[in-house]
Amino acid sequence: MNHNQQSGDAKNDDDSALSDFLASLMDYTPAIPDELVEHYLAKSGFQCPDVRLIRLVAVATQKFVAEVASDALQHCKARQAAVIKDKREKQQKDKHLILTMDDLSKSLLEYGVNVQHQDYFADDPSTGRDPASREE
Amino acid sequence: MNDGSLENRKEHEKSQKQSKSSKFRRKSDDFALAIRKVAVAQVCESVGFQSFQHSALETLSDIIVRYIYSIGKTASLNANLAGRAEANVFDVIQGLEELGSGLGFAGSSDVDRCVANSGIVRDIVHYVGHVDDIPFAYDVPRFPVVKEWKGMGSFWEKGEEPLGEHIPSWLPAFPDPETYATRSSAGNEMMSVSNGEKTELARVERKVEQSLLNLQQRFAHNGNEGGSSRDGGDNGRARKASLSNPYLAAPLLFGEKEVEVSPVLLPAKLLNEVALRNHVPENCVVGNHVSLLETFAPAIEAIKSGLCNSDNEQKKVLYNQRPLVHFKIGIGKKSLGMAPDFNSSKKDPGKIASWFGNDNEKDDQKRRAEKILKESRESSQERAQL
Repeated sequence: MNHNQQSGDAKNDDDSALSDFLASLMDYTPAIPDELVEHYLAKSGFQCPDVRLIRLVAVATQKFVAEVASDALQHCKARQAAVIKDKREKQQKDKHLILTMDDLSKSLLEYGVNVQHQDYFADDPSTGRDPASREE
Repeated sequence: MNDGSLENRKEHEKSQKQSKSSKFRRKSDDFALAIRKVAVAQVCESVGFQSFQHSALETLSDIIVRYIYSIGKTASLNANLAGRAEANVFDVIQGLEELGSGLGFAGSSDVDRCVANSGIVRDIVHYVGHVDDIPFAYDVPRFPVVKEWKGMGSFWEKGEEPLGEHIPSWLPAFPDPETYATRSSAGNEMMSVSNGEKTELARVERKVEQSLLNLQQRFAHNGNEGGSSRDGGDNGRARKASLSNPYLAAPLLFGEKEVEVSPVLLPAKLLNEVALRNHVPENCVVGNHVSLLETFAPAIEAIKSGLCNSDNEQKKVLYNQRPLVHFKIGIGKKSLGMAPDFNSSKKDPGKIASWFGNDNEKDDQKRRAEKILKESRESSQERAQL
């Protein structure tokens, strides 16, 4: 009985927390505009007149982008730190942080998205191999 | 090196086309494409980046679109599974959980977990609480803009009674009869709203007929090239055309004379032939120059041979002047030399007389002179080419 009551209270708390959160979403304006999110949700078949849900999706997407970008930033900073380590003369290294395809692909790989570019394309499987081991 | 660059360009174009043809980069989506780039750039800037590579920005914007798309798809799927048409907050959260299951979230391994209390939501709450509010840079209007479709009114709306019981009144009404009536007068070119296929075809046909007739009449008057014998129009027009076009003329019966030549025998053979030739161009106006050559060939031969019987010659010339298509090219050097002149319809009788009058020495001299001139011209051209 107690357990049930506790779980019931917990559920109520959860529900109230969720509803509170959704209400607070209306105050927060996500960086991704609602119209854009609505457009793509409509394309996918998502039908909902509630604005709060759209805000929820927008916030979730923003969080995702922020995570990916922060991972890429860490990659970028790590590379710059490695370069500075080698050349201690140039202490004021180019601190200009650029989002490159390289860093992005590395961070996206952790999320299961493969956008890696090939370094080069070869027309033969044996290209680049030791000539001695190449089958003729 | 040149080949390589060309190939690269082609590949680049191909890849561009392919990427543009992908679902989220269609030409119709240009506005959304631009907006999402701005949004992604703003978020990245808040994270700490100062500039971006174009390709990286485009890739990331593409990915977030796919993210939104997959959330929407999953949420709608969950709603449908639950028997609903509209999605719920729980559907959305379940979709988020599915997407986040790759990386994992707190509480994902719990069997009895509550959707409302899922780790995903808590993460989002945490994020919202900590991050600053980044308003979007531009004012985005509602898009895509839906054009209001003004459909054709139904029978019921128009107040018309549908023809027949089998047509329900909520169907769109038939167009007005004036719009598809085909057998209206020729001057009634102004068609109202809808054009039936028949009316268009009829109009096109009429235009074609008109143009053909004009052509024919023009050919009849000029008499330069072979007339096209097409059936276009009334009998009257055809008769006119046949009068001018020998190919359309009715066949002559035996003994009939095509040309009404006066039987008066002129003293000089030449004058006779001149008169005949004057008649001939008027009647056989639409013959090609080969047939005219043919008509003159027997005359030339007659002059050469020196036949005296003008009647026979007339008959001969007459019958030979019937517009038969002989296609004998290259009768003789003399005729070839004079061939371009036959095309002009109006000829001076004197001129013609001069052609056929001095046939012997002067003509030979003239032709030799012409030959020499031609050869010199050709040689000069060759020199110029070289």
